Amino acid sequence: MNKNTISKISYVVCGAANAACGQILKGLIFLAIEISYILYMVLYGAEKLRDLATLGENVQGMAFNEALGIYEMTAGDNSMLILLSGVVTIVVTIAFILFWLFTISSGKEALRRAEEGKHNNNFIEDVKSLANNNIRFLFLSVPVVGLGVFTVMPLIYMILMAFTNYDSNHQPPGNLFNWVGIKNFITLLSTSDRLSSTFWPVLGWTLIWGFAATFTCYFGGMILAIIINSNGIKFKKVWRTIFVFTMAIPAFISLRVVATMLGEKGIFNVLLQQWGFTASSLPFLSNATWARFSVIIVNFWIGVPVTMLMVSGILMNIPGELYESAKIDGASPFMMFRKITFPYMWFVTTPYIISNLIGNFNNFNTIYFLTAGEPLTLDYYKGAGKTDLLVTWLYKLTKDSNDYNLAATIGIIIFVISAIFTLVSFSRSNALKNEEGFS
Amino acid sequence: MNRTVIGLNLKYFLNSIIGAVVGFICLFLPYASKDGQTISLITGAGHILAADNKPALSIIIIFLILFTVLSLALAVFNIIKTTVVGYKAWQCVQALSTAFWVFAMFSTKTILEGVGVYSNFLNRYLTFGYWIGLVAAFVTLIYIMKVTQTDRGYIALTIMSVIWMFPILWIVLTALREEPGYYVGYFFPKHLTLKNFAALFAEDSVIPFTKWWINTFIVAMFACVLNTFVILSTSFILSRTRFAGRKAFMNILMIIGLFPGFMSLIAVYNILKGLGINQSLVALIVVGVAGAAMGYHISKGFFDTIPKAIDEAAIIDGASRAQIFFHIILPLSKSIIVYQALGAFLGAWSDYIFPSMLFGDKQSSYTVAVGLYWLTDFRRIDAYYTQFAAGAVIVAIPIVILFVWLQRFYVEGLSGSVKG
Repeated sequence: MNKNTISKISYVVCGAANAACGQILKGLIFLAIEISYILYMVLYGAEKLRDLATLGENVQGMAFNEALGIYEMTAGDNSMLILLSGVVTIVVTIAFILFWLFTISSGKEALRRAEEGKHNNNFIEDVKSLANNNIRFLFLSVPVVGLGVFTVMPLIYMILMAFTNYDSNHQPPGNLFNWVGIKNFITLLSTSDRLSSTFWPVLGWTLIWGFAATFTCYFGGMILAIIINSNGIKFKKVWRTIFVFTMAIPAFISLRVVATMLGEKGIFNVLLQQWGFTASSLPFLSNATWARFSVIIVNFWIGVPVTMLMVSGILMNIPGELYESAKIDGASPFMMFRKITFPYMWFVTTPYIISNLIGNFNNFNTIYFLTAGEPLTLDYYKGAGKTDLLVTWLYKLTKDSNDYNLAATIGIIIFVISAIFTLVSFSRSNALKNEEGFS
Repeated sequence: MNRTVIGLNLKYFLNSIIGAVVGFICLFLPYASKDGQTISLITGAGHILAADNKPALSIIIIFLILFTVLSLALAVFNIIKTTVVGYKAWQCVQALSTAFWVFAMFSTKTILEGVGVYSNFLNRYLTFGYWIGLVAAFVTLIYIMKVTQTDRGYIALTIMSVIWMFPILWIVLTALREEPGYYVGYFFPKHLTLKNFAALFAEDSVIPFTKWWINTFIVAMFACVLNTFVILSTSFILSRTRFAGRKAFMNILMIIGLFPGFMSLIAVYNILKGLGINQSLVALIVVGVAGAAMGYHISKGFFDTIPKAIDEAAIIDGASRAQIFFHIILPLSKSIIVYQALGAFLGAWSDYIFPSMLFGDKQSSYTVAVGLYWLTDFRRIDAYYTQFAAGAVIVAIPIVILFVWLQRFYVEGLSGSVKG
């Protein structure tokens, strides 16, 4: 058979080209995978994909059983499982398409080599090459499979959910849920609905929080690092260790502890009254404005040491001559900070700031462990509180009120916000361009 | 005054003297005033000395006066004969004096109520005599430090250290406190005990803390080894090899990373259920390993800085890629290995959301994070607060030791993340 025919056959019969070039085992494995995919699709997959269009039609309910003369419970369709297995089928199909493309290119390569009279690896050599030229297949298999199963698949599932009405009123198996298009987005973004009047304030607070948390920690950490690293300070290591303590303690512990300290009867209120600063308890976490300041300040307490450590590393890279000459010119320490330290830091750390900003928009831990989004308010959709960020609200929607569609919608909106900031970061830094520079 | 003394910067000599004098004068100015009754620090001290049962904190006012006077005395001494030793001594005294001026703000209520001068005292009844004195104390200290050419950063560092250590001190003291309960009206425990720690590990304990600790340790050890390996091998591939789809793979990882992670936890839970490993530690380990590759950036950035020529030389010598990874790259990357392992280990101890969702009510499978959070629920907090604190201390101690010990690597990784 000539090369073209074999090549064409291999589009349909995976591995044909490889088998024709002597890589029989490899060809057979390819073929086996293709056959098992086709079997899966014929037996289950096609049906799953068909169901995906409707998300189930039979509602669970009571039906009259004529043979026995009684009403019986009939199991209905479970929209959630239909959606999930539909997603599995989609992901399997995508994986198969990628595999199919791979077999074709592998076959072409084998044919080309055979034509040029070069040696084609036999199976044992192929396996051996996994430790050498093809090491990527060995090392990336775990991440690819892992991410595929536990990240990509769930993500697609949740993204699709944003276009359904899977909320607290449509809970499987009792009820079906259905496709609703972009209705969730419209409700959330642009109606006078309570959801929308919750969403915008929560988004606003998320942005304020993100900027406040990032920049307080950034400047606080930078100033602390400058103080510790200045020449006149002795025992630098001791000072650094003191601050590193707060960082080393797992965040959930220190946050829970501080949350209990800030309570109405917590130690802060006790001490403030004992010391005579105030006559009655201060509403650190129970008044909306107080709570918002409290979380920013506590975040400052936790975040400053991290920035301090990071900045310490960078400060040492600033050429000392700059400071020497500035000193000779009679610059004050503040002047040196403004003209030398800060511009340098700002330049080097812009990508860090932006990733930090995105991290803070999604800073679940600080908010959830400190206030859990409280104080609650009647102005908001059920469960959302005045210190809730989009992420904590999302979490509450999935965990407490089972409004999965809304949670998924918010998740997509968070993605869009993060993506915008990331794009800004990329256009500003040339990290991507430089990457090839090293190789 | 045009004297010069080696080691001193006498430009600020006069300022420091004036500061000390102002501080001294403030002792006689009105210190507190309430309901028409005004006292200065000196008359206040008179009340204290006359009182029958003095509160223990009264010593603060006494020391405040003592050190302020002493500071003035040393100022006079330094006018007569300016020496480095004299100034250093003055600096010490002034530092103590400043400290007591600050302490006075926190103890005035207790003292003045204790000796019966006022009742229902609040700090807003402190008058200008006190506030000027406080400012004068700090200003004097700063000028003295300028004269002795000591870094003023010490003042800021001392104040910040106290603030930063305060919650930590509180949790340690609570862990050692004998009196149970969340609400206690004092900072220092009345009785110290190790009972709380013993109760956590007791056989008949209501809280299966030992189990939690072992669970977390198992997960952390697996995470430490497996996650680190996955991250390093992924970074190695992405940094040292070139293949079709590499850029696409990196872009996909970046896009996935922009979605909030726990948005899909419900689906992950259902998948785990389908696989039959929900509610078990295996699930925690598997999901951790599966997602580990997402954090490849830092180690890839590090691998990028190792010259490629090393690889090329090794390939010419007949080394395989696997050998390059295990025998060349890894030995060169000690700091990044420690950084990743430390991160994975710590992550397992503080991960809360996923385990809490995974284990639900199954307390025996909890990790310490879930368990300790469960203890601070409002229904349990009062009964278990001291034990929660003890648990927190037990969890924190090994981590703090690890962290302080391996700090250097952490800093390297952190600054690497900025550059990379």
